[in-house]
Amino acid sequence: MLFAIDFFTRRLAQGAIIVVAIALLIFTLLRVVPGDPVRLMLGPMVSATVAEETAKELGLRDPIIVQFGRYIGQVLQGDFGRSFVRSAQGGSTGGSRGESTFDASNRAPVIDLIATTLPYSLLLAGLAFLISLAVALPLGIWAGLNAGKWPDRLALYLSSILVSLPNVWLGLVFIFLISAKAGWLPAIGYQNWTYAILPALVLAVELIPVIVRSVSVSVSSNLLEPYVSVGQIRGLTRRRMIIAHVLRNSSIPLLNLLGIQAVGLVLGALFVVEYLFNYPGIGLLMINAVFQRDFPIIQAIAIFSCAALVVVNILVDFASTTIDRRLQY
Amino acid sequence: MSVGGTKILDVSGLSVDLVMSGGGRRPILHNVDLSVSHNEVLGIIGESGSGKTVLSRALVNWISPPLVAKGGKISYHGRNLFDLPPDEMQTLRGRKIAYIGSDPGSALDPTVPIGQQIIEKLRAVEPGISTSEARARVLRVLDAVRIPSPAQRFHEFPFQFSGGMMQRVLIVDALVTNPDLLVADNITQPLDVTVAAQILRLLRDLQRDFNTAIIFVSSALGVLNDIADNILVLADGRVVERQQTRSLIDKPEHNYTRNLIASLPRIWEAEPVTTAPAEVVDDSREVILSVRDVYRSYETKDRERLFAHKVVQAVRGVSFDVYKGDNLGIVGESGCGKSTLSRLLSRLEAPNRGQILFKGQDIAHLGSRKLLDLRRRFQLLLQDPYNAIPPHLSIGRTIAEPLRIHGGLSTKEIAEKVASTMNEVGLRTELTDKLPVGLSAGQRQRVNIARAMVLDPELLILDETLSALDQVEQGKLLDLFERLQNRHGITYVYISHDLSMVRRVCNRVAVMYLGRVAELAGNEATFFDPAHPYTRALLSAVPAIEHKPYDTTTYLLEGEPPDPIDIPPGCSFRTRCPFAFDRCATDDPMLMKRSGEDFAACHLVSAGHSAPMTMPAVNLRGP
Repeated sequence: MLFAIDFFTRRLAQGAIIVVAIALLIFTLLRVVPGDPVRLMLGPMVSATVAEETAKELGLRDPIIVQFGRYIGQVLQGDFGRSFVRSAQGGSTGGSRGESTFDASNRAPVIDLIATTLPYSLLLAGLAFLISLAVALPLGIWAGLNAGKWPDRLALYLSSILVSLPNVWLGLVFIFLISAKAGWLPAIGYQNWTYAILPALVLAVELIPVIVRSVSVSVSSNLLEPYVSVGQIRGLTRRRMIIAHVLRNSSIPLLNLLGIQAVGLVLGALFVVEYLFNYPGIGLLMINAVFQRDFPIIQAIAIFSCAALVVVNILVDFASTTIDRRLQY
Repeated sequence: MSVGGTKILDVSGLSVDLVMSGGGRRPILHNVDLSVSHNEVLGIIGESGSGKTVLSRALVNWISPPLVAKGGKISYHGRNLFDLPPDEMQTLRGRKIAYIGSDPGSALDPTVPIGQQIIEKLRAVEPGISTSEARARVLRVLDAVRIPSPAQRFHEFPFQFSGGMMQRVLIVDALVTNPDLLVADNITQPLDVTVAAQILRLLRDLQRDFNTAIIFVSSALGVLNDIADNILVLADGRVVERQQTRSLIDKPEHNYTRNLIASLPRIWEAEPVTTAPAEVVDDSREVILSVRDVYRSYETKDRERLFAHKVVQAVRGVSFDVYKGDNLGIVGESGCGKSTLSRLLSRLEAPNRGQILFKGQDIAHLGSRKLLDLRRRFQLLLQDPYNAIPPHLSIGRTIAEPLRIHGGLSTKEIAEKVASTMNEVGLRTELTDKLPVGLSAGQRQRVNIARAMVLDPELLILDETLSALDQVEQGKLLDLFERLQNRHGITYVYISHDLSMVRRVCNRVAVMYLGRVAELAGNEATFFDPAHPYTRALLSAVPAIEHKPYDTTTYLLEGEPPDPIDIPPGCSFRTRCPFAFDRCATDDPMLMKRSGEDFAACHLVSAGHSAPMTMPAVNLRGP
């Protein structure tokens, strides 16, 4: 118990520093790339003086560190700012309407945009993890228990094929074959949960080879640990040693993999896949925000992703040290 | 050779082959016959490669590919184990025939508490037993093997146990089902001598209480001498001799056995062959290395307290002087701080406190430039000859490396120096351009020695340098060290756990216990008249076939050294000392002069001998 308090206090403090550092990095990068957000908000028809005034009003001409300080202050109060582009009623406004002034109160709060899109993404990511674990765990364990024999090679070849399929291409093939041609599953947009299946499959294809490799390697190396053969001399069956000990100890590398690689991988792939399927999740929100240079949304999603990675890793480390007490974090 | 009682296990004509990848076969065991009776302890001795581990596993019918049984039978109470169906064999193996291996550290799942794992086994081989019943039985046997506070240790993980305690846990695991045969494969080999002696004593007591027959496999005759009734000698997979223990040692019949016994190093029946001066030190000799009240500790995370660290006290106030031309032996068991001390002496680490003076200069606080200059004069040789040599450099280049680092010599001079040094340590000059791959352990160690010698050092620190080598190679290198000493007047510090080697070559011996020097004395005094109870306990525990002046029943108590994180007040040895009295619990004894050049950190010395004299930090010889 004391260890848990010690652990979480230390790790959350470290995590907070990481998140702030990443936030500063993204904040700075966004402001040094070419393209004035004021132009995007107000459209090309607005005169230079009006644009300059609006920019000053929004604080976009202050030094970056001042802007960042102001931003962090707001974030701590739960305010991630308002979208530059999206109106509160939904839909993107942009400069096309030719408004001469920028009315901030008419724009959607970033936190609301994220709150509406996040559940869709969680559904998609959860489904992807479920599918990939359901396929990769049995395959990986089977390969690991038969290291060097044909199941191991089969798993390796299968993984090699899956890992070399580009997700953009695979998504298009799925849409064309499974949705357009066969009509088995819906593909574009979202009306009910079945719309998440195809994009989840694309994500799973990316995850499966990584998990299979990790599981098979750790199962086969754990199987070679002396305690496994000694256990059988002690009178336990091989089956018992595998179920109660080998699989349990193999879960540590898997947890680490899921924490570090898989979450990162899914975060990255989510943007592509949601855009491809026009799936209304956080990835689509992000992609559109990037196209529109909608800084507040980009910043907020980046900070959330980073925080999610940090938290997942802390949980993974805690789970690992609980399973294997030799690990010190 | 007649054995009373009923035969439990009778092996006849057992042959086991190793199937090689090409399909060829190499015999590992050839026509082995043996039998064990009720209550008998049968010792099996064999060198590495004699097939003794394969034999001990074959005895529990555990022959797995690439090994195959070629013939013979193992009958247990008249039933041939080879004919039993696998599941019947499986339960018999855990329940009636138990096996303990030589590596206690990796025998159990490191992530599950030990109590849970023993219960798991108990329930697997005795399906009817309830969890609470199993738990009670495990606790009872944990208590029987004298593990302190068994109820608490039941919930601890394997890595929280020392090697000796873990071996006790495995004895519990083996005996909890009350088997009638126990196969113990070299179980004391990785343990320190005092711990190994405790385990042997424990096993003897348990054998009596549990009425278990034991097959005790070992590579040390001294160990078998302490426990076995009869000894069977295994060489090259064949049984060459079987006799009662005493008569085997006194009157070996087979040539192999005779050579084996003759080659065993002796402690008390042998004379030192060192070239170092006898123990009395005259005032004219120079102090080359002076260690003055040196401390070193390390921090680890404390799980029980918030944001806290535990401090492991590895070396706690060590002082001694080494005179030019001395062979100082530093002995002690694992965890006594001798490796930390070697890192401090060779200045791989700086002490937290205290001074280490090499020819009057404090190496602990020397700048890197000056330290580099001084390093020419003292060199460290480590145990592992494989990882100490870069595999991608030619041997000549490796030996030349120190000369290049220290500079000042032309390429030609370097080549000449390397050649003459190689010659001196017994490496053929043709090896100069070869890579070290394929060199034997002994040859590699010679490369290490040459690399150190090429700088003409005055002091060599040998940290278990010869421990990885076999008897013969060890003898050759000791001769080499002696020659180098004669020619160059080198001083040696031997850090070792091997008491017979120290007896042979060292003129002075420092015995370390829990980060301190417990006794510092000349060779004769250390081995024949030690003053510190720990030295006597250590000597009593050495496995030997000769007559020992100190007896384990008197000098060796139960228990292990205290945790270096939490050292009790008073004398740190008092928890294991048979002579401890009131004062030992409160006063921490300093090294005190006994006589001449002999010192011991024990209150009994000051009580027994004339006036106690605390050791001066600067000059060990006193006023």
